[in-house]
Order: sequence, then structure tokens, then C-alpha cells
Amino acid sequence: MVDSYGERVASPGRFNLRFYLRQQPVILTIVSVLLVFAFLFVTGLSGIYYSQRRALGARWFNRGSIDLKNSQFSAAETEFRSALLYSRDDFAYQLNLAEALVGMKHTEEASSYLLNLWEREPDNGRVNLELGRIAAQDGKIREARRYYHDAVYAAWPVNEEQKRREARTELIELLLRVNDRAQAEAELIALSEGAGNDPEQQEKFGKLFLHVQDYERALAAYRTSLKSNQHNAECLSGAGYAAFQLGRYTQAQDYFRAALALDPKDTVSVDLLRTSELVVRMDPFRREIPSAERARIVKSAFGIAGDRLRACDTPKSPPNVAGSARTMNLTDEWAAFKPTVTQQSLRANPDLVDSTMDLVFRIERQTAVLCGTPGGENLALLLIAKLHEGN
Amino acid sequence: MAPEANLTTDPPAGNAPSSHSEKVSELKRGAPWHVVFREDRFFMLLSVLIGVSSGLAVVSFRFAIDWSRLYLLGTGSVLTPARLLLAPTLTGLVIAALVIHFFPKARGSGVNQTKAALYIYNGHIPFRTAIGKFITAALAIGSGHSLGPEDPSLQIGACLASVLGRKMRLSRDRMRLIAPVGAAAGLAAAFNAPISAVLFVIEEVIGRWTAGILGSVVLSAVSSVVVMRWFLGSESLFRIPAVELRRPSELLAYAILGTVGGLASVGFAGGIAILRPFCKRLPLWTQYFQPAIAGLMIGIIAVMGAPQVMGAGYEYIDQAMHGQFTWEFLAILAGLKIIATLLSFTSGTPGGMFAPTLFIGAMLGAAVGGAQHAVVPHLTGSAGTYALVGMGVLFAGFLRAPMTSVFMVLEVSGNYSIIVPVIVANTFAYVISRALQPTAIFDLLTRQDGLELPSMEEQREEGILHVEDAMQQPRDSVLDAEETLDDALRKADSSVLENMLVRMTPGGWSIVSRQNLRILLSEGKGATKLASLLPPDLIPYLHPDHPLDTALRYVDRWPLVPVVNRADFRQLEGIITQQDVLKRYREFGEG
Repeated sequence: MVDSYGERVASPGRFNLRFYLRQQPVILTIVSVLLVFAFLFVTGLSGIYYSQRRALGARWFNRGSIDLKNSQFSAAETEFRSALLYSRDDFAYQLNLAEALVGMKHTEEASSYLLNLWEREPDNGRVNLELGRIAAQDGKIREARRYYHDAVYAAWPVNEEQKRREARTELIELLLRVNDRAQAEAELIALSEGAGNDPEQQEKFGKLFLHVQDYERALAAYRTSLKSNQHNAECLSGAGYAAFQLGRYTQAQDYFRAALALDPKDTVSVDLLRTSELVVRMDPFRREIPSAERARIVKSAFGIAGDRLRACDTPKSPPNVAGSARTMNLTDEWAAFKPTVTQQSLRANPDLVDSTMDLVFRIERQTAVLCGTPGGENLALLLIAKLHEGN
Repeated sequence: MAPEANLTTDPPAGNAPSSHSEKVSELKRGAPWHVVFREDRFFMLLSVLIGVSSGLAVVSFRFAIDWSRLYLLGTGSVLTPARLLLAPTLTGLVIAALVIHFFPKARGSGVNQTKAALYIYNGHIPFRTAIGKFITAALAIGSGHSLGPEDPSLQIGACLASVLGRKMRLSRDRMRLIAPVGAAAGLAAAFNAPISAVLFVIEEVIGRWTAGILGSVVLSAVSSVVVMRWFLGSESLFRIPAVELRRPSELLAYAILGTVGGLASVGFAGGIAILRPFCKRLPLWTQYFQPAIAGLMIGIIAVMGAPQVMGAGYEYIDQAMHGQFTWEFLAILAGLKIIATLLSFTSGTPGGMFAPTLFIGAMLGAAVGGAQHAVVPHLTGSAGTYALVGMGVLFAGFLRAPMTSVFMVLEVSGNYSIIVPVIVANTFAYVISRALQPTAIFDLLTRQDGLELPSMEEQREEGILHVEDAMQQPRDSVLDAEETLDDALRKADSSVLENMLVRMTPGGWSIVSRQNLRILLSEGKGATKLASLLPPDLIPYLHPDHPLDTALRYVDRWPLVPVVNRADFRQLEGIITQQDVLKRYREFGEG
């Protein structure tokens, strides 16, 4: 049966499914239902797809992490890149790739990754630390300080305190490299506070305090470290050096001797021990020494200073008119003093001891300026001068 | 086609049809859903469904490409030489067999096939083409052939739209438009860039802007992108680096990039112009081996140290943007990618040209940027900026889609500060490419396939005739409605024209012939005003800037049509007759 539109229609009383199926709303409904099924199907596919990618990404990442730990940067880089194929924006993958790139000295590319990561997580400790390292390598000190500072106060997922200490330590090393001792010392004090008594850590602090010339804290740190391990030659040597710089020569001697007992080849300690011994031996102001011994020490020092004065006044010395005039005065003074400086007069007159040593110290200081830092006994006299008269 | 809705034929309320045949008759006459589902509204709704289905298809296509890459090339970023050589070669053999025996229409990129569906096949694309394109392109791209997924996605979308349109029994006009709607959906989902997809389809497939089609295209593109983002996330194709242009003088650097890009585009298109007909002319049996040989050669390039040329290569574009290659290597990659794409495409392997174009552009851009940095170190543009601009440059120069090329870069980068460098570079590339390669690539491919589809580029630049090009000066052809018949006839007698325009009061125009004036005079109405003698209907008028086509609608019904000023409709600028129009067209046709 055909209707007026020329299409087949059903006979009366008979349901014509085909006709209804050709109506647009019916087709639309069917298509919509099919699309719902297609959506569910693609959702299933997507689940399989992403779980496979996650697994592949994790596999490559684990391999890369092992290689990174073993400092095999090139292999790690390839593996992290492979991991990133499966999760392009994964933070950990990118960060590790950046670290591998830093290891390979590909700092430009590493920076690019790290800056992206920094934009995503500006308070991430690792990212800031790596950026700080790169900036420091590139000589961008201001940037490096900023990143290191951010790393110190940033969030670290594990071992937060330790990581922060490490970051601060690197910052201090950077500050020392650029000779900013004041800032380095401030950071170091902050670092050492509440750091506990870990001997290695304390030894590290000792070294850093030596660098910033905070000898008191350096000595304290070394002593704390030595409490746990008295047989650490480096620590003993460091403590000796700190004590030496503080003018505690007797204590320094003890440390140097102990250090040399463990490591006799430590030439620095040998030299410093010798100087410390000389200082102790040649110091006339030591308490509880007999007056005869003091007079002998002063007379000997006077002679050493005279020799030094003559040696410094030779034509080999650089021409320095003002300096020569001063040494001339000192030479005259020394010559004028010479007849009075006898064992007997020194024993009899304690003021003469002081005035003689004053002249000796002046000679040593003056000649140190004109002819450079001396060695041996002259150095010992110079140190004694510092010890008793300050700088 | 279903009959148009007819409100007047609805059955009266309470008079429900009692039998099935009555129901059928009611359906035919115009049931309530015909009111709701008027074809234009229905087409909009259908566009959303097309978008959703295309989105789902494109997502599945992406999965298929990734899976074929995993299983054919391996899971790592560094691939073994055996796989690099064997995967594209053996897959090439399989693809050739599939294309020759099962899916002959799956060959090529897909853009031209969609245009052919629009202009030749009334929107008809067989469903088998979508299946074939899906399988063969996924295998080709996954195995490392230097092709991309965008054009196949476009064709798959168009094909799904065509199937839905057929099932919905749309009118022929709608059927013609449905393929571009699907194409926009497919491309938008593949690119994750709805604006660029809409522009590309308008610019390259449809070729004209109309409100009706634009709404549908936008709807389908947006819905497909929504579906795609649902499954694949909203991240863009590339991690875009910071873009900045500090000194306007740096635009010179981008102009150089545009020039280099234009020349590269010409080389690339020239390669296709020579190689594709050559491959097609080879004996039929060689078609079984052409994709395999292309695959083998690409594998050799990869083994020699440039595996980046394999597949779509988006991850390498990303790396280039982040300064991971030296400029010398980038330049080599751009050259090798041109060779690899020429091999893959001209061998008839199914796959798209968009991704390779973007790859070549990005590499070339970053290389030119790097070289310029080496010479002028104070340039501020990063490798990423140059790579981004380079992508637009090749898009403009090779695909010859200037508008899309600009918006594509903006959409992908999400940074409007790049617009000036992009426009400068793209203009240079486009102009150079047009000058050295007069035929656009899609037109070239169409002509190589023996089809004659309208060239969008030629259409865009075709001169349009306006009314002012054909009109005559008004001369002594105007009467005033307030004049008496005697005065009017006197004027008409002094004119050479048979018909006179009458300026009506307060506005509008009428027309009267000299003969009619004489008849009215013979009836003794000489002292009567013209206004009371003329019929009340006014005649239409035109403006000088109207297209000449518009004049054609009127000049056969009225012997003389007034051309009036847009600001003052009573001011006559000219007159136009059918003869004037035809004469102008004749002159235009003769060049």
C-alpha cells in the first residue's frame, strides 16, 4: 500500500516496524543509544590504554631511577625520556630527567624542564635545589641564592630536615665561593643550631666554620665530633687549626700531636705543631717561669728580631723609602737597646722585659709588612705579639 | 526527505487516530516532532551527534596509533635498528595489500576526498572508507611512516557524518554540507583546537562563510573536542615555552624565517608535484611495494641517526621547542622530514600531511632561530618561539591556509603576544609560496587525481563584480512624483530613454514608460500630479557596492533599476538595466 507521498505504508491494523525505523526521531534515538554504548566502549578502551601506559611509564622510570642512583646519567636520561612518552607531564619523571640531564651537563635543557616544573610547584625543594645548582654553575649568583633559599624553606616529601640542611650547606658553599663570609656565617649558624651531635655533621660544620673564620664555633663543632670518635685525624687537625687560630697554642699542640699520631704525613699539622711549640717555648709572658728563664727568652727574642731586622734591611728587599726610614729608626732603636739587654738587667728590671719585647714585636710586625710573613721563630714571635697585644 | 512541518494540518485535540494507518497518515501530514525537528534545527542537533561520534572515533584512532607504535616499534624512546628497518617496511606491505584490495579510497590524506564528497558525490562517503582509513593510517603512523593523524581524523569525521546524514535521510543540500561538519569535528578532536579546525574547514573545504553552516561546524567541532578532552585530557599538543618580543626590530628575524619557510614549502610541494605522478605512473604491481620501499628508506634514515622523522613526531616538536637540539641538527631534521614525508605520501600510504608540516615548520623555525642567535646573540626569541612561528609558516606556505595558520599558532600557544611575528612570517611564506608555486597543494593533488574541484584559493581571490561596475550614469532619466503629467511628458520626450524613474514622496522609486504617459495624457489627465496616477507599488533599488549578482534578481522584472546612495535613498547614483549587467559579465569573461 502506497500513501500520497509515494511511500509504502502499512496495511490497516498491521504494525510496520520498518516505517517507524525510518522516522528521524526514532533514528536519532537509536543513534543516541548507540553513541552511549560507543562511549562506554571507548571508556573501557581508555581504561586499558591508560593502565598500560602507566605500567610502561613506571617500568622505565624505575630503570632510570636505578641508573641515576648509579650515576649512569646517559642511560637514565634515555629511560626517563621513555617514561615520559607515557606520561608527558609526570612531575617525578620530568624532575628525574632533569637531574639526569644535569648529570650529563646538559644544563640548558635541564633548566627548561626545571623551570616548567617550578612554574607548577614553586615551593618544591628538589626543583629549587636543582635550579640553584644550575644557576650557581652558570655564575648566576643572585638567582642561585634565591633558589637555594627557596629550597631551604621549601617542602620536601621525605627527610625534610635533612634535605633542608643539605640545601643550606650547598648555599653556604656557594656563599663561600663568592666570598660572602658574613652571609655564609649567618647561614652556618642557622644550620648548626639544633643539628644534633652527629659526628660527621659536626665535622662538616667545623670545616665550614673554619672557612668563615669562626674558629670558636669550629673548635666547638670539632670537639663535639671528637667526643664520638677521638681517632679522626682530620677532625683533630681541624680542631688544632681552630685552637691555633684562637691563640690556644698549648691546646693546638695537643690536637696536632694526636692528629700526627694517626696521620704522620699531614704536613700542615707538622708545620703548625712546630710553630705552636715555638710559640709556647718563646713566650716570655708565660706564667710560672723562672725570671732567669724569662730573661734568657727575651734576650734570645731580641737577638732573633735583630737578625730579622738586618735581613729585611738588605738591598734584596724592595725599595721602600718610608719603610726603610722606619726600619732605620727601629735599627737605631734596636742598637740603642742592645747594651741594656743583658741577662742580668732583664732579671733585675721587669719593665725592661716589657719594653724589650715591645721593641721585638714592633720589629716583627714592621718586617712582616715590609718583607712578608716570616717563618720559624720570627713567625712564633709575631704570633706571640698578636697573642699579647692583639692585632 | 520528510515533508516540511505544517502547523495547520495538526489533528484537532481529542481526536486521536484510531488505527495504525491513521497514525501513519498523521505522521505524513506533520506530527508534532516535525515541528520540533524542523530540518535546520534537526541539523544542529545532528551536528552535536556528529561531533560526539567523531570525537569517539578520533580518540579510538589515537589509541590505535599508539598501540601499533608500541607493538611495532617497541616501548622505549631509543629503538633497535631491526625494528626501525622492519616495522615500516613490513607494515608497508600489509598496508598496500589492504588499500589495493579492500580500501582503495583510504589512500591519501583525506582533505581532498572530503572536498570531493562535498562537490561531486553529494556528501556521500562510504563507511568502508572510514574503517579503511582508521586501520591503514593507524598502522602506517604507528609503524613510523612519516605521516600524521589529523587529515585521516578529518576524513573519518566526514565519513561518520555522511553515514549519519544518510541514515537520517537528509535533503541533498544538507547532505552536501554534512561532510564538512564531520570534517571539522574530526580535525578539531585530532588537533585539540576547535577554532583552527573550524577555520580550516571553512577556508579549505567549504570555501564560504554562511551563518547556517558555521553554526553546525562550530557545534560539531566543540562537541568533538569536549569528548576528546574527556578521554585524553585538555593539555595541548606541545608544552609551550614563554614567548616574548622585546624589540620590534626583531620582526626582521621572523621575516627571514618566513622567507626560508616559503622556500621550503615550495620545495616540499614541488617534490610532491614531481614524485606523486611518477609513482602513480609506475606499473600497477609496484603499488604493492611502494609503501614498503618508502618504509625501508625511512627506516634507513632512522638507523642513520634521525629516528625523529618517524611517525607524527609531536614529541620531537616539543623537544625542539625546548632547545634540545642544535640548530644544525634541526635544519638536518627539517630536510630529512621533507624527504621522509615525500616518500610516505607519494607512495600512497594513507596518512596526513598536517603533522609533518608542523614538524618541518617547527624544526625549520628553531633552526633559523638558532642560526640567527649564533649571528646576532642579543635576539630575545627563544628556540620555542621560533619553532612555534615556524609551524605557522609552513602551514601558510605549504598548506596555503593563511587564516588557519595564524589562528592555529595562537590556539596552540595560547599566547597572543606571538601574533605579530606569526603574521609577518606567514605573510612572507605565503607570498613566496604563491609566487613560486602557483597551484596550492590541495588543488595540485586534486588535479593529479583527475578531479576538478573548486580551488578555494582561487575563489578567495576571484574578483567580484559590483553594481557600480555595470551601472550607467543617471543622465536625464528621473521624473518627480510631484510634477504634473504635462511636465513629465515634456521631460520624457527630451530623454533618449523609453522608461523613466520617478522619485516618490516621501521616499522610494517608481517607473513609468513614455508610452504610458502618453496614454494617460490622452485620457485628459495632463494637469494631474504623477504621484496620483502611478500604481502604489514601488520598485526595488540597489546600492553601488551590491554584488552584480544581486542586480540579476531585478533587472529581468524591471527595465530600469535605480542605484541609490546608501545615506540618502533619494539620491540617484546610477541606473542599471539587464543589458548593462550582461555586457559587464561578457567583458569580465573575456578578461
